[in-house]
Amino acid sequence: MITINGISKEFKEGITGKCVKALENLELEIKQGEVFGFLGPNGAGKSTAIKILMNLIFSSSGTAQIGGKDVRDPQARRIVGYLPENPYFYDYLTADELLWFGGRTAGMGSNSIRERSDLLIKQVNLEGARKRQLRTYSKGMVQRAGLAMALIHDPEVVILDEPMSGLDPIGRKMVGDMLVELKGQGKTVFFSSHILNDIERFSDRAGIIIGGKLKRVDTLQNLLSEGKDLEEVFMREVALAEGGTAA
Amino acid sequence: MTTFWPIALITFKEGIRNRAIYGITLVALLLFGATVLVATMVPREVGKVAVDMALSTISFAGLLVVLFVGINLMAKDLDKRTIYTVLSRPISRSQYIVGKYFGMIMLITVTMGILSFLAISAIVMLKTIHGSFFTRFSWQTIILADCLTVLMLIVLSAISFLFASFTSSSFITLILTIITYIIGQSLSGVKALLEAPSYEIGFTVSPVTVNMVNAAYYLFPNLSLFDIKLQAAHALPVSSSFIIWTILYGFIYIVLSITLAALIFRKKEFP
Repeated sequence: MITINGISKEFKEGITGKCVKALENLELEIKQGEVFGFLGPNGAGKSTAIKILMNLIFSSSGTAQIGGKDVRDPQARRIVGYLPENPYFYDYLTADELLWFGGRTAGMGSNSIRERSDLLIKQVNLEGARKRQLRTYSKGMVQRAGLAMALIHDPEVVILDEPMSGLDPIGRKMVGDMLVELKGQGKTVFFSSHILNDIERFSDRAGIIIGGKLKRVDTLQNLLSEGKDLEEVFMREVALAEGGTAA
Repeated sequence: MTTFWPIALITFKEGIRNRAIYGITLVALLLFGATVLVATMVPREVGKVAVDMALSTISFAGLLVVLFVGINLMAKDLDKRTIYTVLSRPISRSQYIVGKYFGMIMLITVTMGILSFLAISAIVMLKTIHGSFFTRFSWQTIILADCLTVLMLIVLSAISFLFASFTSSSFITLILTIITYIIGQSLSGVKALLEAPSYEIGFTVSPVTVNMVNAAYYLFPNLSLFDIKLQAAHALPVSSSFIIWTILYGFIYIVLSITLAALIFRKKEFP
């Protein structure tokens, strides 16, 4: 469902134009119905890879497809729901209007938007705030409104960049429940996190990215068989990447 | 249309609900009040002063809408990364720019409609009280002057979109738009001055300055073309060919600016 073929990304930094490699030859295939956790420390390249998938930035080399369509084609995003890290929406719109916008741009009719909005607003627990302007929302509420918008058109592929960030325990449970539900519905979920527990709880497979390079991709079962928990496996990969030796 | 219209509509809603709009309308209300007061102080010229001040107020308030609400509508998307949400939908970047621009046109049209209503109310009130001093008066020219002001603001907004497409912050866009407005309003006057014989203006202008002014004249929009407040105040006739050419000029500038903005935006990254 998601195919990444040898993607690299370089950014030019500062006035000297010094090149910084954010991603190096990333190869990844995520199958339909799979929940894939993208794990890595801060600045590892997780968001860069996701932004290339969403065509917000362009790869320096390599290609990527979603549902067989090149990510540079806007139609590739018809089957994708995306929640950015720390989302920010229009201050003066209400959650209802945000969902209307999401539905309309995905080609949905008014009735379908209303039905899906009612369902999602209830799921993300924003029933009492749906008519309020988003500038009055807390960070967690904005995150939940963003999640509802990502899912408004019932997408086949859901891409979430740090979906648990900034959420309180109730919000984290709600997002977790939604991930489980999406998995039950056979959706393809690609989510990034630096929280090991989230990856461990929800993923079928996980990839560990460090310094722009994908170090490991395997099923959760195989990864966990290599240590007492994912933290141990992850720390070993970090140590190896930094030139140390595996403990 | 399915992707273009929702962008235009949320842009309009986001703009019209901005509290700055209320502030600008309040300032305009105060200025219309001042128009009534000042105009009554010059009884013989009350008609001319009323029309001139009312149209100037519309123009000033409209400029504030473009500079402090309009630019933010586009630039805030980039500053705050709201654009992630919009561009993650199945829409192209060109559709985003065009949708956003149409939302801005709607915002300018609606706010200017409200301001024009207030301006006309002030003029009607003064005309009712001091009818005998409104000898040279034409509603037609006043409405025309108002419409051309709206067109000028729509052109300026298109240029602000062009700047926003390649600058990295809303502040730079604001500064560039203000500079363009000032140059656009004064350029034809400066050009006329430089082209006048040196014995008339009393000094000699270097060829380099003349070339620079000529280059700026063709590069920047001549916004003074859209300003016919003087004709409206004195009820002077305005030729239909002038109106048609001015509208065409504005339209060409809009199409060029938005097309260029869309082309630049296609290559822009949002890290």
